[in-house]
Amino acid sequence: MAFVKKEITHARPAPLSERSVIGWMHKHLFSSFYNSILTIVTLYIIYITTKGLWVWGIADAVWIAESRRECFDISIDGACWAGVIAWMDNIFYGRYPKDELWRVNVGILLLIVWMLPLWLPRVKGKIFIAITLISFYPFLANYIFLGGESSFFSQFMVSAAIVSFVVIMLNAIIGVIQGQSISTFIATRLGSSLKSEKSQRNLNLALLIITFIIAFLWQQSWVLGEVPWTKWGGLFLTLVISGIGIATALPGGIILALGRRSKLPVIKVLSTTFIEVFRSVPLITVLFMATTMFPLFLPEGFVLNKLAQVIIAVCLFNAAYMAETVRGGLQTIPKGQYEGAHTIGLGYWGTMGLIVMPQALKNMIPNIVGNFISILKGTTLVSIIGLFDILGMLSSVSRDLSWIGLHKEPLLFGAMIFFILCALMSKYSRHLEAKLSTNRKT
Amino acid sequence: MFFSINEYQREIIVVANDSNTKSQRIKPKEKFNFFHDERVRGIFYQLLTVVIIGCFFWYLISNTAHNLELRGMNSGFGFLNVAAGFDPGFKLISYTPGIGTYGRIFLIGILNTLYVSFLAIIACTVLGFFIGILRLSNNWLISKVALTFIEIFRNTPLLIQLIFWYVGVFSILPQIKNSLDLSAGAEVVLLNNRGLYTAWPVPGEQFWITGVAFMAALICVYLLKKWANKHQDKTGKRVAVLLPSLAILLILPGLVFLLTGSPLSWDIPKIEGFNFVGGASLPPAFIALLVALVVYGAAHMAEIVRAGIQSINKGQNDAALAIGLRQNKALRLIIIPQAMPAIIPPMISLWLSTVKNSSLAVAIGYSDIVSLFMQTSLNQAGYAIEIVAMTMGFYMFVSLIISGLLNIYNKKVQLVER
Repeated sequence: MAFVKKEITHARPAPLSERSVIGWMHKHLFSSFYNSILTIVTLYIIYITTKGLWVWGIADAVWIAESRRECFDISIDGACWAGVIAWMDNIFYGRYPKDELWRVNVGILLLIVWMLPLWLPRVKGKIFIAITLISFYPFLANYIFLGGESSFFSQFMVSAAIVSFVVIMLNAIIGVIQGQSISTFIATRLGSSLKSEKSQRNLNLALLIITFIIAFLWQQSWVLGEVPWTKWGGLFLTLVISGIGIATALPGGIILALGRRSKLPVIKVLSTTFIEVFRSVPLITVLFMATTMFPLFLPEGFVLNKLAQVIIAVCLFNAAYMAETVRGGLQTIPKGQYEGAHTIGLGYWGTMGLIVMPQALKNMIPNIVGNFISILKGTTLVSIIGLFDILGMLSSVSRDLSWIGLHKEPLLFGAMIFFILCALMSKYSRHLEAKLSTNRKT
Repeated sequence: MFFSINEYQREIIVVANDSNTKSQRIKPKEKFNFFHDERVRGIFYQLLTVVIIGCFFWYLISNTAHNLELRGMNSGFGFLNVAAGFDPGFKLISYTPGIGTYGRIFLIGILNTLYVSFLAIIACTVLGFFIGILRLSNNWLISKVALTFIEIFRNTPLLIQLIFWYVGVFSILPQIKNSLDLSAGAEVVLLNNRGLYTAWPVPGEQFWITGVAFMAALICVYLLKKWANKHQDKTGKRVAVLLPSLAILLILPGLVFLLTGSPLSWDIPKIEGFNFVGGASLPPAFIALLVALVVYGAAHMAEIVRAGIQSINKGQNDAALAIGLRQNKALRLIIIPQAMPAIIPPMISLWLSTVKNSSLAVAIGYSDIVSLFMQTSLNQAGYAIEIVAMTMGFYMFVSLIISGLLNIYNKKVQLVER
């Protein structure tokens, strides 16, 4: 009576119709009669479009030419990328002097290197990195990009930026190698000579002051030639405006959102009015307002340049939008979190800063990054009021005598740059969201 | 509140101490500290804010008054009655340069903005819904095509798209002599670099009877639909309504139209000299703006629809298929009605941003309110403060109305949900 099988029967593999390419195609492309027709028609449309784009943009395109006429001579229906290539420097840097372009590159490189330790898991003291970045880097960047004579305050801030940059770099190197912060590293190196915390702090302070003095003296030894803001342009100017917009939107938005949820009626009404006014009008009207009305607001003889007007307008406008995003995040936090924070004795700022805001901002990461993307896209509007940002440069190509009427190629190139920047941002936001998510995976 | 609890607890401790060790007494601290009271601090902070903001505005206003005086600029709204010397281009109401006033220019700008936004909102909602559903199609290829469309148009600035449509597509259309004929040889819909020209119906004297017949047909359809619903409630059987309704809508007005002797003629565009005369025309800037707004809005709308539909539990679709509904009916009768509360609020925000985005018209010279009023009128007449305030006021008014709509909808949905 050996009808019972002793060993376990292994599961058979799924049928071929489920796992093969043909199975997949049957399921996803040809599941019904109409679906099959749809697939074939779509394939044909894709083929036509791709072929057209390929022939126009690559196969028949002209890459090397001196003028648009020459492009036409070589190929009549192809794209004339030569014009874009000839204007490449202008598209990226505007009319920044050719010999000084390294300054823009150095400034942007410094920013990237400064932010790099934020992504290294072993590095300690990331809050310090972020704070110095926000408080000192703008002065350093301003000095590098603008140059010229600088005031004592500006020199002071530039030196502070240099010192914090050096400290952060050392900290990052020690962090990667040893997994320690720089102050513990110094303390352990010096060993028993520093017993109390106080003497250790004094030593750190002394080291900082010495580096600061060295940096201050060193930065006085060189002077950068002045490049007035009117020469700034291209992608560089777009990044400057949107970078400042992004950096101020989040803090501004947090303050406004807290104001709107405040229990104090005056503060609540003021914040709500600010938010609603700026959210209900288009950015272009705010920009026009800035350029026509700021000169009237300011005292006689005090002239604010157009770039500053635009930056102020962009900051105000985007802070209002960010405030609504942050408020949305605050609304997702249940009441129990506030009560729990009160129970352990935290006051208003403690509750907000340590308990509520981190959760609210984390919940809103996709929306916050979405906001950043719209700030970047919205910055193109400054070309309407006469700044030569990337779009201003792209449209100038068609006004250049040798490339007259060349519209499509530069615009497509610009669209591509924006597409890449925006796609990178949203990709990073998805990564950040997954990394910070505290939901337990089931 | 916490203050009082602490006081209360401290008194309990004091009492306990009293009963145990009589020699030691802990003095309770003073109950009311003026500077640590929450209400006092609240009032102080608010007063401080009011004073700071007040000073700031006073500073701005005094500067402005001084600057206006210095530059000899006038203020006040009297300029609205002054004749403006420029031609606004595209307009929906009549205007003669040199006679029409700035007030009328303001009106033309408002109408132009509302006109293009209205058309763009309708088209982008419909197109966006369609693309959003395609995005969720179980056909892999279709879904990926929809995704590509959405990603390309959402991740590039609207202004670049707009200028691309304008200078890259609608400005390089053929000259008037070689107009593209969109009506396949009938020469009634023509597209060229001066814009879109179409034949336009001119109603005759008795055309109003057809209009009345159409209204009557609409009422019939409404009654039919009502009767069909009642019938379904009573007997459980569905009566087909769509085809009979269409038939009523077509046949009744059509018959009346023919019986009254076809009182409708077409005004067909004809080349006269260097331009078309007759018919209706739209300038290339208008078409470019409309197309850009529709495509950009549709990409966003598609994302809204996708998110709304995906927020519905998958079990709803499975259950709908299990009771024998086809996929398209499951979508129409089960999924979309439930997804609507998640779709409509962001959709209304999208409408609002479409109205705001139409202000980019200034970049391509379509005469919307910003380009007519905030740019041309401001440059010609001055009166910066008044003009900026009026333009912003218009947008605030529109946004007030649209958020009012949203509030009404939210209240309605909440009532249904209980």
